Amino acid sequence: MNKILLIIKREYLTKVRKKTFIISTLLFPLLYLGLIFGIGYLGEKSKKNLTVAVVDSSGYFDAGRIARANGKDSSSVLVLTNIKVDSLKENLGATSFDAFVVIPAIGDWKNGLRNIPLQADKTLGLETAMPVQSKLNNIWGEIKNEKLGISDSTINQLESSQVTIKPVNINDENADSKIAGTIGYVAGFLIYFILLIYGSQVMMGVMEEKTNRIAEVIVSSVKPFQLMLGKILGIGLVALTQFFLWIAFIFIVYNVTKASGAGDSVSGMVGGVQKVFSSINVPLVLFCFVFYFLGGFFFYSSLYAAIGSAVNEDMREAQSLSFPVTMLVIFSIALMSMAMNDPTGPIAVWGSIIPFSSPIVMMARIPYGVPGTVPWWQLGLSMALLIAGFVFTTWFAGKIYRTGILMYGKKPTWKELIKWAFRKN
Amino acid sequence: MPLLELQNLKKYFATQKAVDDISLSIEPGSIFGLLGPNGAGKTTLIRMITGIFYPDEGQIIFDGKKFDPVNDIGRIGYMPEERGLYKKMKIGEQTLYLAQLKGLGRSDATKKIKEWFIRFEMESWWNKKVEDLSKGMQQKLQFVTTVLHEPKLIILDEPFSGLDPVNSNLIKEEIYKLAQSGTTVIFSTHRMEQVEEICSQIVLVNKGQKILDGTVKEVKQNFKENLFSIGVNQLPGSLNGNSPFEVVGNKEQAFVVRIKAGSKPNDVLQYLLQQGSEIHSFNEILPSLNDIFIKLVEGTPTARQFQQVNN
Repeated sequence: MNKILLIIKREYLTKVRKKTFIISTLLFPLLYLGLIFGIGYLGEKSKKNLTVAVVDSSGYFDAGRIARANGKDSSSVLVLTNIKVDSLKENLGATSFDAFVVIPAIGDWKNGLRNIPLQADKTLGLETAMPVQSKLNNIWGEIKNEKLGISDSTINQLESSQVTIKPVNINDENADSKIAGTIGYVAGFLIYFILLIYGSQVMMGVMEEKTNRIAEVIVSSVKPFQLMLGKILGIGLVALTQFFLWIAFIFIVYNVTKASGAGDSVSGMVGGVQKVFSSINVPLVLFCFVFYFLGGFFFYSSLYAAIGSAVNEDMREAQSLSFPVTMLVIFSIALMSMAMNDPTGPIAVWGSIIPFSSPIVMMARIPYGVPGTVPWWQLGLSMALLIAGFVFTTWFAGKIYRTGILMYGKKPTWKELIKWAFRKN
Repeated sequence: MPLLELQNLKKYFATQKAVDDISLSIEPGSIFGLLGPNGAGKTTLIRMITGIFYPDEGQIIFDGKKFDPVNDIGRIGYMPEERGLYKKMKIGEQTLYLAQLKGLGRSDATKKIKEWFIRFEMESWWNKKVEDLSKGMQQKLQFVTTVLHEPKLIILDEPFSGLDPVNSNLIKEEIYKLAQSGTTVIFSTHRMEQVEEICSQIVLVNKGQKILDGTVKEVKQNFKENLFSIGVNQLPGSLNGNSPFEVVGNKEQAFVVRIKAGSKPNDVLQYLLQQGSEIHSFNEILPSLNDIFIKLVEGTPTARQFQQVNN
């Protein structure tokens, strides 16, 4: 037991002291935030507020209506103009207009105005063009109301009286499926990344020991199983450390933001976080995250360790042998996105109970609420099966590892690996 | 009482009988040569002695008791043929780690490492990484990590590969010193000249079986072919039928003769003196271990992979 501790300690300290650990710990949240805000920012920036010339032949669009519409909504600017269509077409670049619309002379207003071209000297995106349509529609609505003789107060009554729906789980009335969905998604993806990144770290570590030819030196001091377990536990602790550093990071950012004061966006954010905390069971989610993260890590990393022990220096050998295992992880993510659409459907339930996919799928379901969405028996069964699952994979991997770590030469196939595992001593 | 005794040890793999009924015993303080061509089963045998493999059958008696890997491996030092160290780890830290895995306490290990580093002029290496060392320096370090915990039994598999003559001698001296202080050394190699020089007792293994066992002297006596080298100015012109020897060759002003069965060296001398030959030298030619080795394993397919080392 003492020797396993020594191995864990070495594994942990070498990994944590590495520059890559520090850099990835700092960079991952920054990249993650950068990705989210960056996409939002770029989307915002690529949207352009158009200034559109309106050439009216119908006589409905007068300057007063257009000015009122411009006052209500600034996402585009309409300008009534007398410039001839031909000259606009030729000299659009030279004017201050981005585009122009020609409202044709119409007979009956009831026919509406359909497929009016929004003409520009470049192709406009739908995102950019839509505000123009909605502004024209607003003006048109005003005109229609006038024609029909509907007063402003009637319009207000019509608009304020509406039907909306909101999904409520009768077992858990606090649940907010939008927040739960987001948390579930983030948690599922985080586990997915950790399984892939740290799983392959275990594999590389085992390969390193084998190719450096230190494996036999060490197994003359400790049992091969101890060496494997020590490596898995050590790297698991590194992953856990990284996770807690991120939690601490979020906590600090939250508190600093909260303390920094009064602005609308700050109090909005603080309110948002408080809403998240009140709508999900934070301690349970956190506990389950750590459980499924460790369970999934043990389940997969022991398989990766077995693969690392079986191959030689060649990275391609490792990749081809680990392909089926990696596919299982990726398949779990696919199951998760199906489960998110229907968190109580059969795919979600079975995906979160079967050990190979349960770490990712169950983690995506838990924020929806226990026992509201996930009954206690499902959670218990899933946890018990995951424990049984990783005990099995660790045993299985230990058998392969013991043979593989001392074997040099040809790359074995999965069939041979399984033969190693079930061979008597 | 022998330090290590193997009784009818067997280990079969799916495709071959790696070790097939080997028994031997090794006295404390001796340097024991374990010889055999590639694929003979030496590594499997050693892996059973170091507790890496369990024997299928047979017993290992270590220091008077049944071998118990968990507790006894702390008293064994093993330097495998496929050896190496963590390349990116600092040397001092690494040596300490390996010593602690062998069961030494931290402060005890640190003290011993410092002593060995001074003895091998390695003091400045503590904060260097293994990848900064040359191959020979790595081998020296590997030797230190093997013997640091003062094991009762040291197993060295090809310990001199990659070492220059100066460092080879340094290690050889240390092996002698360890043996004198009572440590038992098992020395596995293909290099016969080193075996003749270092080992007191040898065992030759081929195809999983023991085919030779004894002291170097005994083995040579058993395999001698009654050859003598005689330095004379001139052999008698014609050897008559009752001469006690036949000439099998000559080299560098000496003749190599084989004494016929039933005759003794003295008969040869008498015969030559009677013929009036002037004798400068008269030496028995004992076979080298290399010759014996090749003779015994020749003809088996594995022997062909083996490189002949000229003495």
